[in-house]
Amino acid sequence: MSLIDHAPPPRFPFRRVDPLQPPPQYAQARTTQPVVPVTLWDGRRAWLLTRYDDMRSVVTDARFSGEFANPDFPTVTEARVVVDKEERAFVGMDNPRHDHYRRMFTKEFSTRRMALLRPTMAAIANRLIDELMAQAQPADLVATIAVPFPSLVMCDLVGSPYEDHKFIIECAAGRHGLLQTPARAAQKARELADYFMRLIRRKEEEPGDDLVSRVIEEHVRPGNLSREDFAEIGAMILRAGHDTTTNMIGLGTLILLAHPEQAAAVRDQPELVSGAVEELLRYVSPVQFSPRRVAMEDVTIGDVVIRKGDGVFALNPAANRDPRVFPDPDRFDVHRDASHHVAFGFGIHQCLGQILARMELQVVFPLLLQRLPNLRVAANEGEIRFKDDMQIYGVHNLPVAW
Amino acid sequence: MVSNAKGPIMSVLKVRVDLAKCIGAGQCVLRAPRIFDQRDDGMVILLDDSPAPELHAAAHKAADLCPSQAIIIEEIP
Repeated sequence: MSLIDHAPPPRFPFRRVDPLQPPPQYAQARTTQPVVPVTLWDGRRAWLLTRYDDMRSVVTDARFSGEFANPDFPTVTEARVVVDKEERAFVGMDNPRHDHYRRMFTKEFSTRRMALLRPTMAAIANRLIDELMAQAQPADLVATIAVPFPSLVMCDLVGSPYEDHKFIIECAAGRHGLLQTPARAAQKARELADYFMRLIRRKEEEPGDDLVSRVIEEHVRPGNLSREDFAEIGAMILRAGHDTTTNMIGLGTLILLAHPEQAAAVRDQPELVSGAVEELLRYVSPVQFSPRRVAMEDVTIGDVVIRKGDGVFALNPAANRDPRVFPDPDRFDVHRDASHHVAFGFGIHQCLGQILARMELQVVFPLLLQRLPNLRVAANEGEIRFKDDMQIYGVHNLPVAW
Repeated sequence: MVSNAKGPIMSVLKVRVDLAKCIGAGQCVLRAPRIFDQRDDGMVILLDDSPAPELHAAAHKAADLCPSQAIIIEEIP
């Protein structure tokens, strides 16, 4: 045995070297030790999966649990432990409970339901682009479009008043920060569930044509779903719908503008849009420390034995850069077929809102590029702040001119 | 896919769906809209259980991308 075998595994999460690429340790591990041990903030050991095939097989393997309540569930921060313990939505449940709750909401995020939203999305995007164009240059695309666009769409879908969106974003950010104290993260998670409970009660009095009113009618009134459970699930939906798409728009625009020929092709050829969105999802993979699992028994993957109770990060940013599945993976190429990426995860916990997210991105990028054909990044070196402080990766700001 | 020196041999593809596993993610509808649809409640509808050869690749892709592995494909040479 060499001395190296006795050294503690490296501390996870790693720092990015290039802000547009995942940490280099993922690619290194993939060639030398694709299932690689790391040390978490609390000193515990966990495993990273860096290959696409391993990622997909673990998250569809019942020997690995996705129960957030499991005391061995791996976390990237101390605050996340508290948040996970408090999570009561189906994102943190194994089957059969997961499917039982999730199926009450699949209708609300189906291809049909989302297709009905497309004209609303386009109208919202156009209005926000108008607002951007009315500003002095350079202007911040994140504050003007990336943040409000998914918020407005989500408010329309869910039935929450738009003036509440800043509060919702603050709750999501408070929960997802890497530097957050456990008490504050828990408080922000609670505040959002309490907010959703008030929304449920309001919609019970005054129903509308929205998700909350429909779920009340179909599941709460017949007694299939308690208000308390709905409030937890609703808070999860609000958080997920605000944060992730925002980051895809901010960082996605930066990546498109860094590849002007590809941006022009996406602008001019509508048939390229959906493939470009898949490639952006693959390339950005904003939900960067997910999915997570805990082994319920000893499991061998390749030449590594994952012990019962060990945590696993089936990293989707690593799987999405596996050269055996995506040739020349660090090259951004809107012409490739990236549709089998796992940016939304895989297995039963794959993103509930993925059709919504795809459609939002398919609407917003072409409109931005068509209406602002000279759109360009207008930032000095170091001026763009990347979200190294957040669990969901992206940019805090993106100064642009047009 | 079965093939010989002349190229692929026409095969018959049978598609089944397992509603007990379906979570309504909608991947199949995006990848193979001529074979799959979603019911009002989001669960999968099989439109064509014996898709024509030009749809075989899409059927395989949909099965591969189904996150809950609810699509079963049997290829009969």
